[in-house]
Amino acid sequence: MTRFRHFIAAALLVTGGLAHADIAVVTNANSGIAQMSRSDVINIFMGRYRKLPNGELALPIDLAPVKARFYQALVDKNLAEINSWWARLVFSGQASPPHQAETTAQAISLVVHNPSALGYVDTHHLTSELHVVLVLHE
Amino acid sequence: MDGRRVRPVGAWRYLLSLLLSLLPVSAGAQALAGNEPLTVSGFGTLGVIHNSSSEAAFVRDLGQPKGAGEGWSARVDTLLGGQVDLKLNDRFDVTLQGISRYHHEGDFSPELTWAFLRYTPSPGWQLRAGRLGWDSYLFSESRYVGYAYPWVRPPVDHYGILQLDYIEGVDVTYRRPLGSGLAWAKLFAGRSTSHLVLSEALSAEMDISNLYGGHLNYALGPWQFRASYARADSDADFSVDREAFARNPRTLVLNTLIGRAFDYGAIELYSLGMTYEQGRWQVQAMQNRSTTDSEGVIDSGFVSLGYRTGQATPYVMFSRVRTSFPEIPAGESFRQRTWSLGMRYDVATNLALKTQLDRVHVIRPGLLWRETDADWEGDRITLVSLGLDFIF
Repeated sequence: MTRFRHFIAAALLVTGGLAHADIAVVTNANSGIAQMSRSDVINIFMGRYRKLPNGELALPIDLAPVKARFYQALVDKNLAEINSWWARLVFSGQASPPHQAETTAQAISLVVHNPSALGYVDTHHLTSELHVVLVLHE
Repeated sequence: MDGRRVRPVGAWRYLLSLLLSLLPVSAGAQALAGNEPLTVSGFGTLGVIHNSSSEAAFVRDLGQPKGAGEGWSARVDTLLGGQVDLKLNDRFDVTLQGISRYHHEGDFSPELTWAFLRYTPSPGWQLRAGRLGWDSYLFSESRYVGYAYPWVRPPVDHYGILQLDYIEGVDVTYRRPLGSGLAWAKLFAGRSTSHLVLSEALSAEMDISNLYGGHLNYALGPWQFRASYARADSDADFSVDREAFARNPRTLVLNTLIGRAFDYGAIELYSLGMTYEQGRWQVQAMQNRSTTDSEGVIDSGFVSLGYRTGQATPYVMFSRVRTSFPEIPAGESFRQRTWSLGMRYDVATNLALKTQLDRVHVIRPGLLWRETDADWEGDRITLVSLGLDFIF
């Protein structure tokens, strides 16, 4: 009975943990990048400095269903603020925004087929083809 | 009807029909997606302003011949911009931008603001050539993109007097991490033409040559700092509206003096700027000093503080400008300061509504006001503005 109770408690912990999943910032498994700092990721996704730790020009990929949570966790900004930021950069001819993926499958496919892609997925959707360089806790 | 209260109805209709035709497609903010080699995007503002003063008409910058007189006007802030970005390959891309707004020709005829080729040989380097934005002041290049900032318009005291719509030339930017932040430097060189309307009766076409300068930037966490310098030779070609002189001969002396202030051969600009954006807080502060070879000085600056709560971002701003031209009598120097209180409300992720109250204290009148009498001694003027900013 006690064992059973422990099992229930553990199950609750696991599902509780899943309900509040984190966001993994991912690269191609062959990118040769071990991990990245939060400021590297901010520089790339905010269009400031698009250099990957391996020296390549980064190709950042936004994922529509996770985008709002990602920017809230990364820079504490909502989507209106993110669009406002990009309006400034795009219409002053300084930088172009990240590629927009509509589905997780699209984002994963882009990362898997492009060694300089930098994407993000819900930690639920991690696959073995992806390499996690940073985890954002919400 | 009083001439200064005529509204540009044609332009309104044109902007509205364009807006209505574009908004339905813009739901996903296509503008801000880097997916396709060719992107067409745009921005715009529908703005109205109410001026409390019957003695002076408000302009947004020295390029606008007529201002917003007593009552409501849509002239000064309403605009529409369109942009085409074409990615040729991983290293080369082309950008074209045009803006339709009320400007020196006295109408909303569109102007080509950018047309440049960009070369990005590595993540740290960027070179551009063609018609480029001029960004000696932080936000100068995006000052018509209302959706990009909290205010109805950037502070006129600071951005209204010395601006170039574009430069024709080249610039190079170098970026690298420094300490735990990011540093970048930009150098530019080129030429430009600037149209200033100094009063109803006097305008100047400024031929700006040997224009060069640059800026150093450092971003660390929520902070960003910029120090910039620019210099240029200037050759002013004045044109006088004799009818306007005839209507109000007392402005003759004032115009002559203002004209002399802008008849300089060279100008140098120094500017410091900082922004702080942490979570809900947004702070911007800037200070400029420009000096001419005829010992003219233009000082301006502003501080703005905003706080986002839900979809609303209320803000408060203080700005001021002070000019001094020793060659003309001290009384003709221009001084004013402005307190602004406003709010941005994000209706959608591509649409923002704004309202702003400006209390302008014109201490010494001169520039930036239209249809004033030569003996106007300045005043406290209240402006109320409403704006709808969108991107597509």
